[in-house]
Order: sequence, then structure tokens, then C-alpha cells
Amino acid sequence: MIEAALQTLLNGAASGGVYALVALGYTLVFSVLGVINFAQGALFSLGGYLTFLLMGGHISANGALPGWGLPFALPFAPALALAAAGAALVSLLVERLAFAPLRRRSAEPLLSLITSLGAGLVLVNLLQLLMGAEGYAFPAATLAGLPAAFSLGGARIRSVQMLLLLVCAMVVLVLTLWLERSRGGRALRAVAEDATTARLLGIDSDAMVRLAFLLSGALAGLGGGLAGVSVSLPGPYFGISYGLKGLAVLVLGGLGSVPGAIAGGLLMGLAEALIPSDASGWRDALAFAILFAVLLLRPAGLLGRRFVEKV
Amino acid sequence: MTIGGLALLGQQSDPPGRRLPAGGALTLGAVIALTGNANLYGQDQRLGIILAEEWFQGLPRPISGEAPHPQRLRLRLRLEDGGSDEATAIAAFNLLINQGALALIGPTLSQQAFAADPIAQRLGVPVVAPSNTAQGIPQIGRFISRVSAQSSVIAPLSLGEALRRDPTVRRVAVFYAHDDAYSTAETAIFLKALARRNLTPVTVQRTQLADNDFQNPITAALQLNPQLVVISVQAVAGGNLIRQLRELGYRGQIVVGNGLNTPNIFPICQRWCDGILIAQAYSPELDTPINRTFLRLHERAKPQQQPSQITAQAFTAYQVLAEAIARLQQRGGLKAATLGQARSRLMEELLSGSYDTPLGPIRFRPDGEVIQGRFYVAEVRMQPDGRRGRFTLVRDLQVGGGQP
Repeated sequence: MIEAALQTLLNGAASGGVYALVALGYTLVFSVLGVINFAQGALFSLGGYLTFLLMGGHISANGALPGWGLPFALPFAPALALAAAGAALVSLLVERLAFAPLRRRSAEPLLSLITSLGAGLVLVNLLQLLMGAEGYAFPAATLAGLPAAFSLGGARIRSVQMLLLLVCAMVVLVLTLWLERSRGGRALRAVAEDATTARLLGIDSDAMVRLAFLLSGALAGLGGGLAGVSVSLPGPYFGISYGLKGLAVLVLGGLGSVPGAIAGGLLMGLAEALIPSDASGWRDALAFAILFAVLLLRPAGLLGRRFVEKV
Repeated sequence: MTIGGLALLGQQSDPPGRRLPAGGALTLGAVIALTGNANLYGQDQRLGIILAEEWFQGLPRPISGEAPHPQRLRLRLRLEDGGSDEATAIAAFNLLINQGALALIGPTLSQQAFAADPIAQRLGVPVVAPSNTAQGIPQIGRFISRVSAQSSVIAPLSLGEALRRDPTVRRVAVFYAHDDAYSTAETAIFLKALARRNLTPVTVQRTQLADNDFQNPITAALQLNPQLVVISVQAVAGGNLIRQLRELGYRGQIVVGNGLNTPNIFPICQRWCDGILIAQAYSPELDTPINRTFLRLHERAKPQQQPSQITAQAFTAYQVLAEAIARLQQRGGLKAATLGQARSRLMEELLSGSYDTPLGPIRFRPDGEVIQGRFYVAEVRMQPDGRRGRFTLVRDLQVGGGQP
């Protein structure tokens, strides 16, 4: 009984951790701009492919440059870190191309949704053009030195998922501490609270927006690299489904709430793990039904604040 | 005069009403999955179709022991990406039909065939499915046929081999994608085959077509200590599922369905692919002139790689159409015919012929179902590098007396 409960907890935490990473990316952008960056899923895919290439992977026969690969192969950890950095830079580019021009013209927030969706689709299609549509798997020796799986109190978890869980927990902790304690984090929160007041206090809100995009891109890239090692890269669109799940988590936890994104991710992961195994094919339907029920009871999400429109 | 003009315009814009160009090239369309989850099959299929096209265009010259060169035909191949979903396959079917394709090869997935084939059937366009194995595909209509033997014939063979190797097996776990027509149809056949042997699965885990993380269903199944795992999912998901099963400690036999009948799974499950059992409609070890030709063509395109069943079936799909067209042309059956008439005559010719293919001799039932006599059970053997492997023949089976 305890073993089964522990197994459910581990299963839920492992998938919930990735959802939380994606949702945190959405949260950072939403908190400063009040809009959702739909390119987040594409950045997730990008992180996976960058990690693969940096680890010495080669483009397959159906890519634009068949057989091409980088002239070096990095170990997993530096490859993952560089992939996250790469995704962060591309995220910044998305901000410059899809968000900044509209912001300068004070355009409707809805337009940013569309431009970010377009940027995401372009990115995924570029990945498809370059890498081909086929799946890529990381070498079996990616986590050499670690056993294939761990046993914890009778519950089993694959090493890669345990790693994924630990990295997610660490990133969430560091990010939370940075937001709470650092000067930059407090400036970001100030812009999130009220951009005009923050500007009057001397905070460069444009710089904070760029920082939010950099961080959210890095989170997506990190998540993509970790998920890719765990379940391979089934195709350029694989990040989109994580992106959709992250979006649900964002709403579940409360729009713009960092603790909400974490709680929402874990709750979503646990909800999926709690679904009886022989009904696991209905997992997405049941998980979204839970989301629906929570939103009926708490329209602002689990830890979100109700926004009162001042007139 | 206006009415006459409109009638002429209507005839010109209606492809079935158009006359076939005298001496002009005939168009064959192929709708295969080059993108999405099923692209692993699409790559194999593209290769098979292109090899067949080369062969029917007179390249390369046959060598001793190979099949003689077929009659050269003026065929133009149009390859369209059918994606891995129904909507893309439908769009590709419509496009090729409107462009005047005489016949179509495809689509890749049974799920897509159930959506796209009715369009071809309604418009009277012959379809040869190279890889649809779900029950009921040729029964969509008289213009629909397939060269891929249905799951009910093949699937139980690998299960039989696993139970022959270990007759003590009592605890079987089944995994399948419940939102995929191929997977649900094949799983029903696996379950029937288990029931015939008085085996009730200890668990049936339903996954989703797009799933790649199987931690939940695997840990749930492993708590029931299965001795045999049966998997019916698509290739990428299957590769991931096998890898994760092994990583989580499962050491028993694994039997997989037709969805994993491609060497493209090897880079995904890597060394963990080793030992899986699979029933096949094609074996590279079949020693016939046409298979020797096919193997040489494949070796030229992909040196030192074994052709997959899916490549052989795609080659066969093109071959049966080309041979039926050649026979029809020899008899003058396409002379002065409209496209609609040519399509209808081609379908009749296709179903009435016998074909010596890389799969072995085949012919069709009147409803378009393939009749094939030989099937094989293979075991995957991976090389020490864990990246490359091969389907090793373990049993050659004659079904229905071995004669098509």
C-alpha cells in the first residue's frame, strides 16, 4: 500500500516537475507583460534538439544537412546548460520580433498571442526543416555511471526521471530565491506588480521584460533537454504538447503566480499519476477535467489573485 | 452555345471525364507519412516506392539470378506528405485525385485510411495500401485494396513463438494505444490469441498515440509481475516503451506488433531492443529472383542495411500497380479511355492478377484483401554499439497451406 502510494508520488512528481518548469516560463512572461507566450512549447523542442546536437548527435537523412553534426561532443550537463542558454537567446529574439513592436504601439494583448503563436510555429518548422521530422534518441551512455533505475522504498523510478525531478526542484528553488532575495528579482517583481510605478522608481522595465524572456526561454530549453533524454525526441512538435500542459498548469496554479505554477505542475502530475493505470489512456481528459473543476471552484486558480478592474 | 461551352468547360475541369493523353505518362500518387509520429514508417515507404520506380524505369540492369527486367512504363510518381493524422492524409488524397492520379498508394496509417479511403472510393480511384493492417480496410469499398496482410493473420505468430519458448507463461501484460485504429484492432487479435491459449492478461494498459513517457503504466504493470509483455503501439512510442520497460527492471520476453516493424526503432530503444519478438510479412532471407533484385536495389540505396518489411511492402504496392497497368496497356484497355474508365479498369485488372513480389507470391481476394502464404517470426538482435541491429529470422511459417 505504502509502496503503491510512494510510486504514485514519484511518478506524479517526475512529470509534474517538467510541467512546473514550462509553466514557470509562461508565468515569468505573463507576470511582466500580462500576455501568454505561445512560443514556449517550440522553445522546449529547441532545447531538446540543441542538447542532442551539443552531445555530438548528427542530423539524419531527412534533415537539411544529412549527417551534419558539431565537431565536438559535450557531456550531458554542459550540453544541457548550453542548450538552455541557446533557447534563452532565441526566446529573447522572439521577444524582439513578436512582442516588442506591438508593445511599442500599445497594441491589443490579443495580437501578441497571435504573433507568439506564429513565432512558435515558424520555430518548429525551422527545426523540422533542419533536423527532419524523424525521432532522435540520446545515446544510452548519456547518464553512464548511473544505474538505469532506482528503487526507493519498493517504488521504482528511472535514473533520468530522478535527475529530471532533482534538476527541476533545484531550478525552482534557485529561481524562487532569486526572485525573493536578489535586487534583479525584486525589480522583476516590481515591474510585474506595476510597470508604471516601477519605471518611476528608476527600474528599466524594458530590461526586465527582456530578462523575463531570457529566463523563460532558459527554463523551456532546460525542460526540453531533460525531457528529450528521458523520452527521446519524437519530432519537432514534441514540445507543443508539453507547452499545452504547461499552459493548463499556469491557469490551474493562478496566472502570474510563481508558487502557483509549481503547485499546479505538481498537482497536474499527481492527478495524472492517480488515474487508475488501466484508464491511463484517458489521462489527458481526466487531468483537464480536474482543471475544469478547480477553476469552477476557484476561478483565479489555486494560488492566483483575483484581478479587480478599476474604472 | 453557352450551354455547350459550359458543358465543354465542365468536362475539361472534371478529371474523371478527361481522356488519357495518348502516349503520355500516367500519374501514380503516393500519400505517405513524412512528418509526425508515423514518419519513421514514411521514410521506409518512400524508399520502397522509389526503388520500385527505378526498377520499372529500367534501372539498374538485372544480374544473374535476379528477376528479368519488367516492361518499361511511362509512369510519373507524385509523392505527397500524408502527415500522421487524418486531416493531412485527406488533403493529400484530394490533391492527387484532383491532379488526375490514376491510382494511389497509401496512406501510411490504418487510422488515416479509415478517413481518406472513403474519398477515393467515392470518386472511383484505386488505392493500394502498403501498410494498413487493421481489420476492415479493403471492405471500405471496391476500389480499396492492400498488400499488407491484416493483423489477424500475422499478430498471433509471434505470440506463439514466445509461448513455445516458455510454455510456463501465465502472467501477460498488454500495452496498446487506445486512440489508434491499428493498435486497437491488433490488440483485439492479441487478446483473442491469448484467450485461445487460456491466458487472461493480468493487466491491459491503455496509452495514447502521442505518449512517450510510460512511467505510470509500466510501474503499474510491473507490480503484477508479468512474465510476458505484449505491445501494440506505433514505432517511436514503442521504442520508448521497450526502453523504459527494461530500464525499470522488466527482464521477461517482449512481443511487439506490426507498428514496430521498422529498423528505425533501433536508435530509439537501442540495446534494449535486443530479444524482442515480432511477426513479419517479409523476410530478407527469402531466396527468390525478385527479392534478390529488391535486396540489390536496397543495398545500393542503403549499404549494409537490411530492408524493412515496410519498405518491401511499399515496393510491392508500386509493383502490383505497375504490373496491372502494363497488362492493361498490352491489351489496349487504356486506349481512348477517360481517366474514370481507366481507374475502373485498372482496379479490375489489379484484383485479377497474381504477382511475384519480394513478399513472396501474392494475389487479391475480390474484396481487395491480400492473399499471402508465407510469414515469418523474427527476433531483434542488436550489435554491441547498441545503435544498429537486425531482425533475425527465427521461424518461417506457411499459413493456409503456404499458397496464395
